[in-house]
Amino acid sequence: MKILVGYKRVVDYNVRVQVKADGTGVVTEGVKLSANPFDDIALEEALRLREKGVAEEVVIVGIGPADLTAHLRNGLAMGANRAIHVTTTEAVQPLTAARVLLKLVEKESPGLVIVGKQAIDDDANQTGQMLAALWDRPQATFAGKVEIADGKATVAREVDAGMETLDVDLPAVITTDLRLNEPRFIKLPDIMKAKSKPIDVIELGSLGVDTGDHLKITHYAAPPKRSKGVMVKDAAELVAALKHKGLL
Amino acid sequence: MTDPRLADLARRAPETRLLTEPSDLEHYGRDWTRRWTPAPLAIALPSTAGDVQAIVRWAREHQVTIVPSGGRTGLSGGAVAAHGELVVAFDRMNQVLGFDPVDATLTVGPGIALEAVQNAAREHGLAYPVDFAARGSCSIGGNIATNAGGIRVIRYGLTRQWVAGLKFVTGTGELLELNRGLVKNASGYDLRHLVIGSEGTLGMVVEATLWLAPPPPPTQVMLLAVPAMDALMRVFAVARVKLQLEAFEFFTDRALEHVLAHGAQAPFDVLSPYYVVAEFDAGDEASQAAALDMFEACLEAGWVTDGVISSSDAQAASLWRLREGITESLARYKPYKNDISVRIGAVPAFMADMHGLLAREYPTFDVVWFGHIGDGNLHINVLKPDELDQESFVAQCEVVTKHLAAMLHKHGGSISAEHGIGLVKKPYLEGTRSHEEIALMRGIKAVLDPDGIMNPGKVF
Repeated sequence: MKILVGYKRVVDYNVRVQVKADGTGVVTEGVKLSANPFDDIALEEALRLREKGVAEEVVIVGIGPADLTAHLRNGLAMGANRAIHVTTTEAVQPLTAARVLLKLVEKESPGLVIVGKQAIDDDANQTGQMLAALWDRPQATFAGKVEIADGKATVAREVDAGMETLDVDLPAVITTDLRLNEPRFIKLPDIMKAKSKPIDVIELGSLGVDTGDHLKITHYAAPPKRSKGVMVKDAAELVAALKHKGLL
Repeated sequence: MTDPRLADLARRAPETRLLTEPSDLEHYGRDWTRRWTPAPLAIALPSTAGDVQAIVRWAREHQVTIVPSGGRTGLSGGAVAAHGELVVAFDRMNQVLGFDPVDATLTVGPGIALEAVQNAAREHGLAYPVDFAARGSCSIGGNIATNAGGIRVIRYGLTRQWVAGLKFVTGTGELLELNRGLVKNASGYDLRHLVIGSEGTLGMVVEATLWLAPPPPPTQVMLLAVPAMDALMRVFAVARVKLQLEAFEFFTDRALEHVLAHGAQAPFDVLSPYYVVAEFDAGDEASQAAALDMFEACLEAGWVTDGVISSSDAQAASLWRLREGITESLARYKPYKNDISVRIGAVPAFMADMHGLLAREYPTFDVVWFGHIGDGNLHINVLKPDELDQESFVAQCEVVTKHLAAMLHKHGGSISAEHGIGLVKKPYLEGTRSHEEIALMRGIKAVLDPDGIMNPGKVF
């Protein structure tokens, strides 16, 4: 079986994101960029399935500009067999990403697609679900545990009330939650080996997908600052202040 | 408050809170050393410099001695109060008092935690680069009193380099304004630097102005498996040329075993005798390529056998936990700690000598080494065997420390690299500083603290 893994690059989880002064986006220059943590978990799960003998090949997919190569090399160093780099200089929204993945699914015929439940930049939580719908295959989202046997995936999902277990027929789409696994460290000797692993470069325009943006972003803004609290001397002053604000 | 001296203190320092409950006396009377039983007279929590002056004047009159107290995370007993002292704790003087964007300075009360200073700097798009594992609890006042170092000294230096100005109350109760944030000030002795590292024996810092640095670039962390001691410094020599190092630390397999037993994630499948944690600037692809070059060169030379690299800041943090978690993982063994330094170039020869000494003197003890090897600073922790009682264990360790002090003297090193002398290393000061130097230090103390009320019995 082949596993396709969505592998997005985002601003690192630990960076304090700042909005650009002109409101056209967030500052990404000079800022640490890392793999989307949920995608690292997706890749780790795919590698573990390969190590168990369930899968033979793990292919990672990244959509983005030319300098995404270094990020994909990290995924290869972590253990993916090969990478597909869909190049574009434009920001990609979830529906476009799902359509791109569908094209690659048609080309690669994987038995399983694993993606993060969401990317921590836009937190959209849509790509996996959209891909399953476009592909017309089952989906198991927010996976906390995955087992594969007899052409089925048994997935324990993290839901509000606890865990829910689903059996889905393969091929299927699984999206990962935080507790599924802890991604391994990249070994330096494997970075050296990853230099010779193949990265297929495909221009987004050549895939023939509709990239029309359905969402228009008007501007970015930081959340309003909370104003400082005021100290009042006694209960009477508190009541007066609340009345003044029309709260009493 | 039945003690008439304390009633007088309460009158003279009205904004100061006084504590005398046994639990408070115990809490404020000791640091991270557990060798002495705390027995202070009382705890004073002043909120203004004026009150600190009033406390000192009161102490001189009543002949009460003072132990200044910050976060009490020290490892040398510098903040121990075991003889009826008044502990002056700066918990309430912990505010950010000002920020100057042109000077790039932050002015703070001495009781503010190191981590709060780092966070305040970050709020202004800058960084306070001194950093170590106790950041959440240690205070800036304590950092200044011990000239604290930590894990980024190799790049940013010690606390001393970041102090732009100090307000300081001497042992006579005078308030001095030292250096006032000046970059250049060639007007006589720089008393600010005398105060830094004085371990509370000359007076108390009541306000500090700190220089801030530009925010650090994105970094990556490598963990390297090193097969032999002499390879450590070879790896360092290559790394410091090829990379812009932010930190370069080492620890032994014994240290890693303790941290892993404490619940950390194992980085490699097999153990190696030594490990290096190196953090370096990785803002662009060129520096990442340089890291790989460095690794390849060391691998070919046989100086490293394996390595992992962080791919996110979260992974960087978990690699750091392997190094920073050591002290905590050893705490239950009540380790006897040595914190020593030699010239960076003298490290291999010194370590070879040390190894011989420890193998000879501690054949049965568990000895854990780690430290800031890029600064020539080694931490050697001797773990107490469960069957040995604390007193005979310390007695045995102190015999070895005497040998160690002699060996440091031979190699031109220091018995305390960054923990201070306090009470713990006092008997060995003469191995590191000459009689003449110590006599001069006593003379300086006599001028600033003529009644000897400031942290008596510490340092010398």
